[in-house]
Order: sequence, then structure tokens, then C-alpha cells
Amino acid sequence: MPYLFVAPNMLIFITFIIWPAIRGFQISFYDSIDGRTFTPVGTGNYKAIFGDPTVAEVAKNTAIYVVFYVIISTLLSIAFALIVNEQKFAKGFFRAILFLPVMLSPIVVGLIWNDVLDRKVGPLNALLQAIGGGSPGWLVEPKLGMMAVIFVGVWVHLGFYSIILLAGLQGIDRSLLEAAAMDGATRPQIIRTIILPLLKPTTLVILILATIHGFQSFDFIYTLTGGGPLGATTLIVQYIYDRAFQTPIQYGLGSAAGVILFMIIFAFTALNFLLGKKREAI
Amino acid sequence: MKIKKLRSKIAIAASLALSAGLVATGLPSAQAAGLQPTAAQLAAWKGKEITYYFYNDSQAELDTTKSQIADFEKLTGAKVKLDVIPYTSLDTQLQARLAAGNAPDVARLNNPGLYIKDSLDLEKYLGRKYAAEFLKGSTLQVTHPTTKKLIGVPYDLTVNGPFINVDMFKKAGVAVPTSWNWTELVAAGKKVQKATGSEYAFAIDKSGHRVSTAMSHFGAYMVDKNQRNVLPTSKFRAEKAIKIITDLYKADQAPRDLWIGTGTKYSSPTAIFLAQQTPIFFSGNWQVAALAKDAKFDFAAVPNPKELNGGGWPGGKFLVAFNASKTPDLAAYFLYFLADTAQMEQMDKNAFWLPTRADLVAQGVKYATRTADMGVFQADAAKTPAAAYGIQSVPTLTGNIYNKLRDLMTEVIAGKITAKQAVQTQIDFIDAQLATLRK
Repeated sequence: MPYLFVAPNMLIFITFIIWPAIRGFQISFYDSIDGRTFTPVGTGNYKAIFGDPTVAEVAKNTAIYVVFYVIISTLLSIAFALIVNEQKFAKGFFRAILFLPVMLSPIVVGLIWNDVLDRKVGPLNALLQAIGGGSPGWLVEPKLGMMAVIFVGVWVHLGFYSIILLAGLQGIDRSLLEAAAMDGATRPQIIRTIILPLLKPTTLVILILATIHGFQSFDFIYTLTGGGPLGATTLIVQYIYDRAFQTPIQYGLGSAAGVILFMIIFAFTALNFLLGKKREAI
Repeated sequence: MKIKKLRSKIAIAASLALSAGLVATGLPSAQAAGLQPTAAQLAAWKGKEITYYFYNDSQAELDTTKSQIADFEKLTGAKVKLDVIPYTSLDTQLQARLAAGNAPDVARLNNPGLYIKDSLDLEKYLGRKYAAEFLKGSTLQVTHPTTKKLIGVPYDLTVNGPFINVDMFKKAGVAVPTSWNWTELVAAGKKVQKATGSEYAFAIDKSGHRVSTAMSHFGAYMVDKNQRNVLPTSKFRAEKAIKIITDLYKADQAPRDLWIGTGTKYSSPTAIFLAQQTPIFFSGNWQVAALAKDAKFDFAAVPNPKELNGGGWPGGKFLVAFNASKTPDLAAYFLYFLADTAQMEQMDKNAFWLPTRADLVAQGVKYATRTADMGVFQADAAKTPAAAYGIQSVPTLTGNIYNKLRDLMTEVIAGKITAKQAVQTQIDFIDAQLATLRK
């Protein structure tokens, strides 16, 4: 009987996730320019990826993006969750504002920030110029381009992570906090010694989610910078997209890169999970 | 309303008359049978649906297509489902659909070389001599490389070239050019920029195809009609062309953000030209309809700059029917219908396209407005050097070669490599691409 209940969900999961993943793995051992004719190449696609000089740059970009994205978004979402949790006035309004970017289409996000960050006519540079800050090429200079996509990535997901952490915060037994306050603990002490340790399981979830989101980032970046300037914001998913869908089309190579991405995300998720479990055990 | 209905009836009648007329003129029977639907075909087509995978540069193209589809439906009793696709994902979506076994019946494409294996052999349905109805050379990209059979139809001819903002030129006291070279173009752009305080002096589409026009002016070509890499023999000329454009971008006199800040995406400075931020916009005749609709200033198409050569760079859009179609005869007939004299003339007039049919070129298309602009493009089409058509001998590689040139231009603009290095890298890339043909 329980299997019957999970059957519809499993059917969808198998059809749209498991089966395409298996097919993707299979295709990674073939060369195909049209998705209909497949020439077996063994591990040729994997060798081609590791021999491709652009891969090192893509790996570096992805590593920079994921590290900064995960750290900044986790820290900021904890801070925002704490602030929102303490709020007395217009609670709903501020939570809605915080969550709003999550509801925007990634394409819209990319277009909005493309306008905001425009070097010549963007409002941000207009503001900077008004206060004598010059007009940085946010989308033209490679380093600034990376900063811009990290910022936008954090902006998009911050609300989502904050809401999860907020739920975690509200699950903390208030008597513990009240007891600490009665014992004379200051607010920073309460946060450091009670709230943050009790929030660890939720924080671990955020870390795992942020790592996955970080590695999977593509849509808004593609709209915002197209992977430029000069490939500085080309992350692994765009590498996959470019190989699979831009001329010259190489579905096999794209699939092989997809398999590698899966293995990276799987390894990081497992590592996060195991480290979290270990800390819990201690 | 009555006039519209009458026009529609006339168009249908004209189409039938044309078909009948072609039969009467003694064309081969296979062709005649393909051109005029038989009663049995009409009965078989009734209620059948075909999908038309379509993209448009202007609203006029879409409106005209919808009206022509309505006429086709009345004529055949079949239904046409119009799938309007954004240009930027034209090939991505089509590749995915073909791979998933969800091919459309007919598509409007700009890179038909990618779909050679999927394209319907039109000769089977429209006759061997059908290709001769189009301009010589225009069918090169839709001719099967081995069977030499027609697998698509050139739907419109495009010619690259510059537009200027006439109001800005007048304000700056710079005469509207009737002939010029690249040095004069750059000087004029800078002068207008200085006088009007515009953001930029010049802008060009982020496209290797458009840059190839400038290279052609300087006498540099990439592939010849015999599928040989000819860039090594003209590399110094290519460097000159690349340098004259990239220098403007490096000096911030052209919108470098559009090239550097958009990664591997296509981008056009149309909005920049419409916002009067640049007095010169290098694109092509397909922009006329959109500019005519949206420009709040006087603009004009002006001749391409002439160095060793003048003229434009050949391009165009093609109609392709797919061999996966469940009703291939209906798909072929729809393609034939859209590309017949009456429909093509109507589309050319409404959307400011250049015809690909030999009869229309001979009689000339009378545009209701923007006649002078279209005249400039027609004149430049005639001046386009024969060598410019060479790259069409490798239809499966043109996209790769143009995209690589675009990416190398971006690197030169960003100061990562020099024009000389860009040309050498392009030479090596073309060699590697051509080698794939010989595998």
C-alpha cells in the first residue's frame, strides 16, 4: 500500500530525472551532432574535456563563484533571518520584500540587473558618478563581472534561505533564550552560544542547498553577462550548454560535462552531510 | 474590410493562376504535378495540420505571414500552426525538437546547413527545375552537398550595410554620404559624435557575418568556392578591417559593452541607434521595417564603404521542409506557396525584404516607402564581390566560422589579443574546421 502512494511521484521522478540522467550518462560515451545519430567514442569525451584549455578557466570561475556565493549567502541569510525574527513592525511586508526576488523569473532578474549595472546609462553608475565614484564596467571588466554575478546570485536566493532559517529560528525553544537572558547573557552571547548552535541543522541544509544552487547557476548569468566578459563568468553549466547547444553541437561532450558536474555536486553534498553528521555526533 | 477580402481572393486566384500558368507553359510533368495540388491531394489535406517554425525581425513579417497562412488555409483546407521562436534560440530549440522527434513541418532558418540530413528533398515534390526560379548562387546554401538536390528555398536575400541618423548628420553639418571608404566613415562618425554629444560614433552588430563585410571591403575572405581556406593569402587585409572596427571600440567610441559584456550571445545595437546614441549603425536591410516603425528621427541606409571592394555581404533566410513531416507533399506545397511570386512580392513590400526569385529581381519590387533605402541595398547587392559567396560552399561550417570570428573580435576589443593574433587564430580554426569535412 505505501508503495502505491509514492508511485505517482516516483513515476514522475523516474521519467524526468532518473531516466534522462541514465541516458545522459550513456550519451557521454558517444559523439552526436544532431541527437539522432550517435558514434561511440569510449571515454573520448571525458578526455576531450580534461584536455580542453577552457575547462581550467571554467573550473576556476565555478570554484570562485561557488565559494563566495555559499559563504556570503549563508552569512547574510542568517543575519537577515535574525533581523526579521526580531521585527515587531510591518513583519509581513519586510518578509515579502525579502522573498520577492525568489519569485522573479531568472531571465527577468538578468535583464533587470543588466540595466542597473550598465556602464554608460545604468542607474548604479549614475549614482556613483553623482558622488564622484566613476563608472566601473560591471559587465565589461572580468573581475567586476564575477563580483556582479555573485551579488545577483546572492540577491536572488537570499530570501529563500532566510525564510528556511527563520523557520529554524522559530523552532528554538524560547525558554532557553529567556533563561539565558535572565542569567545576564547579552544578545551577542545568546546568538553565539545558543541560537547558532541550535540552528546548525538548518544551516547545514542551507549550505547544501547553496552549494547545489551555486554549481547549477546558469539562467540569470546567461541573461546578465552571457558568460562574459571574456568568459570570466562562464560557469560549468554554461560550458555544458555551449557544448550541447551552440555550434559546433557536441551532445556527447555536453553530456560528459554534465556527468562530471553531477559527480562534483554529489561529492560536495556528501561531504557537507558527513561533516554535519560528525559535528552533531561530537 | 471588403477590399481586404477581395485582395485575399485575388491573391488566391493569382496563386492558382500562377500554378496553372506554370503548368500551361510546359514545365516538366513532375514539377507541374508538384505545383498544382490535385483534387485527391486537396481531399487528403483537408483538416490536416502542419507546423511552421518561424522567427521574425519585424512585426510586418509576422503580420504578413499570418495573412498568407490564412490564404493558404483557404486554398488547401489544411491548417498551419505558427510557432514563433525568438531568433536567439532558433537553432537551439529546433535541434532539441528534431532530437526529440518533434520536428516542425516547415521552418524559416538562417543556417540551413545544420539541417541537411533532416531536410526534405524538394525536387521530389517541386520538380528539378524549381531551383532555377531563384537567383543563381542563392540556392548554394540549400543544395545538398553530395546529392546536389534542392533541400530548401532562399526566402529573402539580406545585404549588410550601414544606416545613418540623418538628423544627427545634419546637426553636425556632415553631408549624407553617397560614397565613402572606411577612413571617411570613421571620421564622419567621430565628427557627428563630437558635434552632437552622442555616446558613440559607430556601432556594429555583434556578429562575425557583419564583420566579414568589412573584411570583404578590404579584400579579405575566409573560404573560397572550392572549400579552401583563403584567409592566409589576405591576412594583412583582414587585420586592417578588424583593426579599424576594434580601434573604435577600444577608444569607447563604439558600445564595447555590447561585445564584451554579452558573452557568447548575439546582440545588436538597434536600441542604441534608436536611442540616438550613435549616428552610424552597421547592420543590414532586415532592419528597415523595424527602424521605419520605431525611429523617432530621420534615418537612411547609405552605401557600404569601398576600399578594394564595395558592396555588401550575402546572407539570407531560407525555408526548409523536414523529411519527418507526416504530410511532406503539403509541407513542400506550403513552402512553394510562401515562396511564389505573389506571396514573396507581398512579403518583400511589407517587410522590406530583398527578393530571391529571379522573376521578381528582373521586374523589381516596388516598395511603398523607404524606396531610397531599399535602392541602396539593392545596389550594394549587385556590387557584392563573387568571392564573398565562397563561404557558402561550406554550409555546415559557416556558423562555426562566423562565431569564432565574433569571439576573436571580442578578445581584440577587450585588449586580450591583437588583430594580428586574431587573424592567425582564425586561420588555424578554419583549417581545423575544413579538416572535419575531409574526415
